[in-house]
Amino acid sequence: MARDLLLEIGAEEIPASFIVPALEDLKRVLAERMADARLKHGDVRTFGTPRRLAVLVRDVADAGEDVTKEVLGPSAKAAFDAQGKPTKAAEKFAEGLKLSVEALGRTTTAKGEYVSARVEEKGRPADAILQDALHTAVHGINFRKSMRWGDVDTAFARPVQWLVALLGDTELPVVLGDVKSGRTTYGHRFLAPGPILLKAPTDYESALEKAHVLADIGKRRAALVQKVTAAAKKAGGQLLEDEGLVDQVTNLVELPSPVVGSFDERHLDLPPEVLVQEMKSHQRYFSLLDGQGKLLPKFIAVSNTPVRDEQLSLRGYERVLRARLADGRFFFDEDRKTPLGDRVEKLGRVMWQNQLGTYLEKVERFRSLAGWLAQHADRAGEAATVERAATLSKADLVTGMVGEFPELQGVMGREYARASGEPDAVALAISEHYLPRGAEDALPTQDAGALIGLADRLDSLCGIFAIGKAPSGAADPFALRRSCLAIIRIVLGRGYRFSLSAAVDEALRLLAPKLANVKRKPGEAAPREQVLEFFRGRLKALWGEQHRTDVVEAVLAVGFDDLVAAKKRLEALSPLVGHSDFQPLAAAFKRVVNIVEKQGKDVAGGQTNPQRFTDEPERNLHTAFTQARDKVGQHVRADDFAGALREITGLKPAVDTFFDKVMVMAEDKDLRENRIRFLTEIGALFNQVADFSKIQAEVAAAAA
Amino acid sequence: MYFQDLILTLQKHWADQGCIVTQSYDLEVGAGTMAPYTFLHALGPEPWNVAYVQPSRRPADGRFGENPNRLFQHHQFQVILKPAPKNVQELYLESLRKIGMDPMEHDIRFVEDDWESPTLGAWGLGWEVWCDGMEVTQFTYFQQCGGFDCRPVAAELTYGLERLTTYLQNVESVYDIEWVKGVKYREVFHANEVEMSKYALHESDPQMLFALFDAYEKECKRLIERHLPLPAYDYALKCSHAFNLLDARGAISVTERANFIKRVRDNARLCAEGYLQMRERLGFPLTKTPWTVGEQPPVLEGKPASDYWKTVTLNKPVEKKEKTDKTEVARGA
Repeated sequence: MARDLLLEIGAEEIPASFIVPALEDLKRVLAERMADARLKHGDVRTFGTPRRLAVLVRDVADAGEDVTKEVLGPSAKAAFDAQGKPTKAAEKFAEGLKLSVEALGRTTTAKGEYVSARVEEKGRPADAILQDALHTAVHGINFRKSMRWGDVDTAFARPVQWLVALLGDTELPVVLGDVKSGRTTYGHRFLAPGPILLKAPTDYESALEKAHVLADIGKRRAALVQKVTAAAKKAGGQLLEDEGLVDQVTNLVELPSPVVGSFDERHLDLPPEVLVQEMKSHQRYFSLLDGQGKLLPKFIAVSNTPVRDEQLSLRGYERVLRARLADGRFFFDEDRKTPLGDRVEKLGRVMWQNQLGTYLEKVERFRSLAGWLAQHADRAGEAATVERAATLSKADLVTGMVGEFPELQGVMGREYARASGEPDAVALAISEHYLPRGAEDALPTQDAGALIGLADRLDSLCGIFAIGKAPSGAADPFALRRSCLAIIRIVLGRGYRFSLSAAVDEALRLLAPKLANVKRKPGEAAPREQVLEFFRGRLKALWGEQHRTDVVEAVLAVGFDDLVAAKKRLEALSPLVGHSDFQPLAAAFKRVVNIVEKQGKDVAGGQTNPQRFTDEPERNLHTAFTQARDKVGQHVRADDFAGALREITGLKPAVDTFFDKVMVMAEDKDLRENRIRFLTEIGALFNQVADFSKIQAEVAAAAA
Repeated sequence: MYFQDLILTLQKHWADQGCIVTQSYDLEVGAGTMAPYTFLHALGPEPWNVAYVQPSRRPADGRFGENPNRLFQHHQFQVILKPAPKNVQELYLESLRKIGMDPMEHDIRFVEDDWESPTLGAWGLGWEVWCDGMEVTQFTYFQQCGGFDCRPVAAELTYGLERLTTYLQNVESVYDIEWVKGVKYREVFHANEVEMSKYALHESDPQMLFALFDAYEKECKRLIERHLPLPAYDYALKCSHAFNLLDARGAISVTERANFIKRVRDNARLCAEGYLQMRERLGFPLTKTPWTVGEQPPVLEGKPASDYWKTVTLNKPVEKKEKTDKTEVARGA
């Protein structure tokens, strides 16, 4: 009869961010172990709070399933002698499996014939399987940081206090450090401190709920949101939405109990970002807004205990915030005493990166690069704003407020620039040059911030690659992947047309004094090539989300120096690839490319000479081609790649006839070479949009 | 509750659990952790359970007696429990109840906090303990000290006495704390804050402090060579305080700073090693006592962590001789 399984690890308060990944580990290890042992089971649920990690598996079978396996032994040649008698090797193999030699069979594999045997493997009883599985699971959680406790040599996120391991109504023995398993769990630390004996695994959730613990993360989150929203409404405001904060607070409490507090209205003249940060970053308070979206002088703190008298604990919550706001006000007032411009020089004492120099040096480099970009992206009109905003863009790093709240970089720059009388466009560019901060974040709304953001990130990217610290695997300490994606998104989002490789060259030129002594590893590509290759990788990943990867590769293969054009080429080509008439076109192109690749090397360059054509089909193709080429050129110049593709597609009948009727590899050398030159030109025409040979014909056909 | 009663209540609570109540260490330190009662005794296999008040000097935090919360010198109530008892959180919560912080009336929480001291080569994991959103205690399970693994693990509890009292007495400024009936913190320590801040931030003599730093460091190293780790550690502490004074004065540049921290840490490492060697020579005498605090359940899997010290030899005469030879060769060359 199927039984349910419960595993609970009770611990001292586990960091909020550890809980979900730990539960994923537990669930994965258990599921893998059960699958390996062919132990069937039903639904798997997890529970987690700061004090517990738990997994409930429904309907676990009594034993793993029996299987019959074929085991391969020595090769038939080694197992039987010339007379067909079994050798020592065969006997040993049979003996190992406790079978007689006669019971052995033969199996032919790709590598030849082997001796084989059919072995029946009995499924182990569930208790035995799970005892091992639970041991592995509780020891197999990868915490970002773990610790030892007492005199124990085992490590966990925080000291383990109790273990529950129940299969049906039976306890399974599991040991972790100085704790052994049983059926006793504990409720809320203060509201239900006594032991709770669990009769059956499925009692778990309700037993804890009675003991003031909402163990299901999803339910606890929903309860938190509901309670906090209601509290906000009651306080006459609405919640400032913050999913990250909700997630975090959910895993800081076992039972969410919001209380509404307030702060002195006079602090409302601080920038709202500062107030929100003050409430959120250390205290994890929620902010409240009025109907117009303005901050109210109120907050919601979420307590883990529904205290007897809210007013008493509010005294504490408000007191802490009062001290923090006093600090914030102090920084804000002090910081504004010095004009932002006067702080720039101080950046010379802040190191950005040891080899690449201080922030002041970085600012000087990317200011120059931003100017270059303004010229080349046809935004020369922005040059003055770019110059000033770039100069000031990092000056807030040496203010007291950003020292205290690094998250406010950019925002404080904007506020302090305004306070110093800088033009609004400059102030805005300072804060917007950090945008987008992540994949979901908004782009800069104006050119100056966008161009500075591009320059700053290109400088980081080129500099870090040039000193050989490119991201490898999961290690990306300078968040270059994110920077690269941000560059792509800004360029496309704002439609900047400049040569990416030229911009990389310019960034590297500006970095050159810092790179004089850098030695490259032998065989390593030049930084320029590494950076562009990195872009190619990001583009592939980004565009591959919405387009077929072979189509993305085909487009990238003919270049992405103009990112906007590359995107347009992709968007023109991608819908065509699915069409039924596309595959023959790709096939025709592939024939062209094959011949050019095979024969082209030996052919001297130069133009096709139409006078040398001898056959009608090649003259026809040439006429069609010449007309198409002009039109494709016009379309490409107008960014109309769909139009260009239409022209190219129109050539297909003529190309087909050409291949049917004309012998490219003619005896006559001149004739032959002229034809290859012609095909090279046709290939080049196709290449204006994409390298069609990269598109997989089978996939294209299947899609059609 | 008066400031003084808070101290007496905490002392009584931890004394009742079996802790020794020692007096404050008599050198300038930045935190209770730096007193040898914590830093050195957290090392090695011996049990150690102690509670003490430690005046802690933070020159850079000096605010001339003008800031209601920041002080040149504040007081920490420091508890070390080694090995950390299984019920250490409960013992701690009981101490809060005794000073009037009832967890049914206040939101008491253990909020993740990783502790690391680059100057001590020490780190541990634990929490800030919050009472209604306010940090009232640092709770740390020591993992490493002076670069050595802590086996067994010690629990360190550091109560910020001024902060706790401002909350208990419901006053906004530390200077309004009543020390005993009729005497405020202001009367006891305000002048000290003013003068010490002036000294640390404006009046200290960097040249002298740099010279002292070098001299203290040299003396620390010399005493280590003489197998006197306890006085050596005193000089390590003096070195550290000289560094804190220089830092508060802004006399150390950003690039030099890391190097100074490394020099302070190197002293701490040498003292930790010297201390362990000394205790080993003495046969780790406290391991022979039945001294424990709280619940100490047996280890159920693997060997106890403290068995490690049975397998390593800290005093390695043979290697040491080779080292001396090498030094002589180097000198000769």
